[in-house]
Amino acid sequence: MEVVLERILNIAQTYPEVAKHCTTLLRWVFVVLAIYILLTSIMSLLRTRTTPVVNGYFLVEDGGNFPITHWENVIGRSKTSDITIPLKTVSKTQAILLKWKDDKWMFKDLGSHNGTTVNGVRLEPNKKYLIHFGDEIIMGGVHCTLAPASLEESANNRLMRSDDREPVAPWKILLAITLFQALTIVQLIIAMGTDVSFGALFSIALLSVTMWVYVTVFKAAGRKGFEMEMIAFFMSTINLAIAASSNPEGAFKQLVAIWIGIGLMIFMCIYMRDLDRTKKIRPILIGLSVLLLIFNLIFGTMSYGAANWVRIGGMSFQPSELVKLAFICVGAGTLEELFEKRNTYMYAIFSVFCLGCLALMGDFGTALIFFATYLVVSFLRSGDFSRLMLTGVGALVMGLLVLRFKPYIADRFATWGHAWEDPDNGGFQQTRTMSFGSGGGLLGHGAGNGSMKNLFASDTDLVFGFVMEEWGLIIALLIVICLVTLCMFAVLSIVAGRSTFYTIGACGAATMMLIQTMLNIFGSVDLFPLTGVTFPFVSTGGTSMMASWAMLAYFKAADMRKNASLAVYKED
Amino acid sequence: MKKLEKRSLICILIAAVLLAGVGLFVFRFVKHGGEWATFYGNQQIYTDGLLNRGTITDRNDELLLDCTEDGIRYSDNYNTRVATVHAVGDPKGNIATGAINVFRGQLIGYDIVNGTYDTSSEGKKIKLTIDAKANVTAYNALGSRTGTVGVMNWKTGEIVCMVSTPTFDPAGSLPSDTGSSYYFNNFLSGTMTPGSTFKLITSAAVIDTLDDRGSFEYHCDGVNKIGKDKLTDVSAHGTVDFRLALAQSCNGAFGELTRRVGPDTMKKYVDKLGLTKPVIVNGVETAEGSFDFPDDNEVKLSWAGIGQADDQVNPCAMMVYMGAIANGGKAVEPSLIKSATFLKDITGGKSKGRYLNEDTADELRSMMKNNVKKNYGAGNYPGLDLYAKSGTAEVGDRSDAWFVGFIDNEDAPYAFVVWVKDGGFGSQVAGPIARTVLNNLIEK
Repeated sequence: MEVVLERILNIAQTYPEVAKHCTTLLRWVFVVLAIYILLTSIMSLLRTRTTPVVNGYFLVEDGGNFPITHWENVIGRSKTSDITIPLKTVSKTQAILLKWKDDKWMFKDLGSHNGTTVNGVRLEPNKKYLIHFGDEIIMGGVHCTLAPASLEESANNRLMRSDDREPVAPWKILLAITLFQALTIVQLIIAMGTDVSFGALFSIALLSVTMWVYVTVFKAAGRKGFEMEMIAFFMSTINLAIAASSNPEGAFKQLVAIWIGIGLMIFMCIYMRDLDRTKKIRPILIGLSVLLLIFNLIFGTMSYGAANWVRIGGMSFQPSELVKLAFICVGAGTLEELFEKRNTYMYAIFSVFCLGCLALMGDFGTALIFFATYLVVSFLRSGDFSRLMLTGVGALVMGLLVLRFKPYIADRFATWGHAWEDPDNGGFQQTRTMSFGSGGGLLGHGAGNGSMKNLFASDTDLVFGFVMEEWGLIIALLIVICLVTLCMFAVLSIVAGRSTFYTIGACGAATMMLIQTMLNIFGSVDLFPLTGVTFPFVSTGGTSMMASWAMLAYFKAADMRKNASLAVYKED
Repeated sequence: MKKLEKRSLICILIAAVLLAGVGLFVFRFVKHGGEWATFYGNQQIYTDGLLNRGTITDRNDELLLDCTEDGIRYSDNYNTRVATVHAVGDPKGNIATGAINVFRGQLIGYDIVNGTYDTSSEGKKIKLTIDAKANVTAYNALGSRTGTVGVMNWKTGEIVCMVSTPTFDPAGSLPSDTGSSYYFNNFLSGTMTPGSTFKLITSAAVIDTLDDRGSFEYHCDGVNKIGKDKLTDVSAHGTVDFRLALAQSCNGAFGELTRRVGPDTMKKYVDKLGLTKPVIVNGVETAEGSFDFPDDNEVKLSWAGIGQADDQVNPCAMMVYMGAIANGGKAVEPSLIKSATFLKDITGGKSKGRYLNEDTADELRSMMKNNVKKNYGAGNYPGLDLYAKSGTAEVGDRSDAWFVGFIDNEDAPYAFVVWVKDGGFGSQVAGPIARTVLNNLIEK
């Protein structure tokens, strides 16, 4: 490989005019490839209309048969119940019906007004009972029963599921990304000559190999959906190109972070297949997070206003990035848990602890991400909009107090919206982001050609400007659209969702990524005060990259397309 | 689960906020991208605050400025540098109308698709219409005096000479005070008392409005009393008619003519002849002149009619008016950037509309020729088919010398304006400067 790269370098240096024309052309090629790669993946994800798996039927006297398509179902009078019995004698949320292992079912009365009896036995409120097909369930005088899906119906359901639109095959996209990566290497040589290290270029090639291995292995294992990974591999390529351009020595470290991130994601996917064991690991995650944050508070290194770094043996990492993963897992809950106060309190206390630690570190950007995610997840759990607003207003008051006591944050608010009025002090970073970014136009200057790399934090907090300058506005926008697509996918997946645990997890992860993207972009282009957070997948920084990849597991776990996701047990 | 479907709309809401914000940014990107990209902090195009790409040459491809990543380089010739600095601009951008400032966009070559990416491999080039040699000649002719010389081709509008003094060497140490007069381009940004050159404006009003001007007569006794006040002349001109009044620049006669024309017509003519609005030179606006023709003060009105009182005129606007007289009444917009096509040479420059009807222009032309014959001496301007008017503006104790007009040589259709601060008598000081510069241009 080294020989090939040297050959390219020689040609580029012997014929600079030709090299220049190459870049002029390549800029178009990159945009076309990016559009193909990302739009194909996005379309495939958004066209998802999964036929839910039918696990059985709930028969209501004079009320019809309800197919049970989720693992967790609310029974009640309210229209938004999964099984609605519109009778006054039935409480709004009367009971929940849960799928246990091996076709066994659990039933739990949620303290309903008129109570529930099963086979004549009155159920104690808020206590789970094992029920069987055919048991007579009486709720507010209505006779109901649980019936298995007949063999014929199961076969029919399986047939319908196999008629669902299949995820797009990954091979063409893989080829396109590989071409993109190869051309990126060529472009970096043309732009930087001997300034770019062999290690940096080799890292991009290794990412390509990683990608092929990943897809081949899991395709062989019978999995079909790879769109999210394709998007992540594409963004990781941009990330490596940015690292190669701004700090070639750091590129390999970045690749290692990608590897660890992928490993973590695969582990989480496989672990989350079993809901029970995932639920059980949460106390451990809470414990680990608490330890990590306390460790950070004690040993944290101050770096540009925030002590959110920990250095161990030459390696530095950001514990809060890893806590993000636990934060989603702790926030997600099964339907049963959503009705338990203890679980809700646990989450609230954990959140307050995390926010407190982040505030002490002075990392207000990350604190804001955690807080917004907490608000959204709380709302998903309770549906209580007024409480959401109340908490929001409370936080606003707290925020104002922070402004009063932390003058440098107040300064950022003062600059907000006025970056161009003070371009060399308060608005320095924002004006540079916009200036270098707009200089990139729609197509960019080509990887390695940017000038923004000389600027502090250009590959992290201001990375949106970096992408605009070297890759152009079109690719920068496509990346944003990709992240929005992940969010849409999480929402769309609810229809066929098994447990609220997975759907809340996916929506929580989506919220976290979107808020983080928002703070990063808006902060750097003066639409919001600059807070200094990373852009998922794109900013350089090892822990951020690991967390971005691992976060994908939550989306994979919500992917109910037939045999698409490695986070779901295979169907026959 | 059904409940979650509804609640999850909040995630869509967050995505919508992100998209809306990014949408707003894209809108601003499209609208302000050019301004953002040309901001001095952008190191794609600036090195240490200095533009790092593009070249500026004169009309004959003589290099005036070369911007590179290693710094900016002016002409090697000292005289060329000082004579063209107001056209080219200084490294710090203190000369507001310098090409490096006002044509920065062309040098950078921003467009939304490519941003500041330079698709050509040799860099952007701006060719100015000025002739560096003529500028040097004008600079030498002005000597150490403060003043300005402007010459334009009245058919194409191309400004071939533009010099302003005091000047400085942009490659040397720059004057530290950014408001210094060294950074001021008198030709584009200045307004001065026009003195008797203004009689060409009053004359245009007379020709159009006084049909009995053929029988006009005025007896100038050198004092020319209006009531208690005087409208002094250098000497007693005796009895003059309209043509002779202009040739001898008789204040008494032009005071009388102004009063006959009246303040409203005078106001109309300074507007009509483009003196009260900025002239647009490739997007650069010149200073605008200002005048006051009172209808309740005959004395002040008379002084205003002979280019004194509160009259202020911009040299470039005056030059455009000269061009309009030469061009049969039609004014041509001046330009500083040489267009790539030859079309302009054939069709003429961009029209600024008709300043005068053809007959008026012809009569003025004939009177300006008469000025040269009767007063300045055609023999003093050999080889030049000259039409002109001099002026000596009284500003406090100072006399500023003016010489404006045009030549109608076949290959050299040039309109010109020369102003020398505290120069003394117009035709004696400013006239020879015009002659030297015009001859230099014709010799080519």
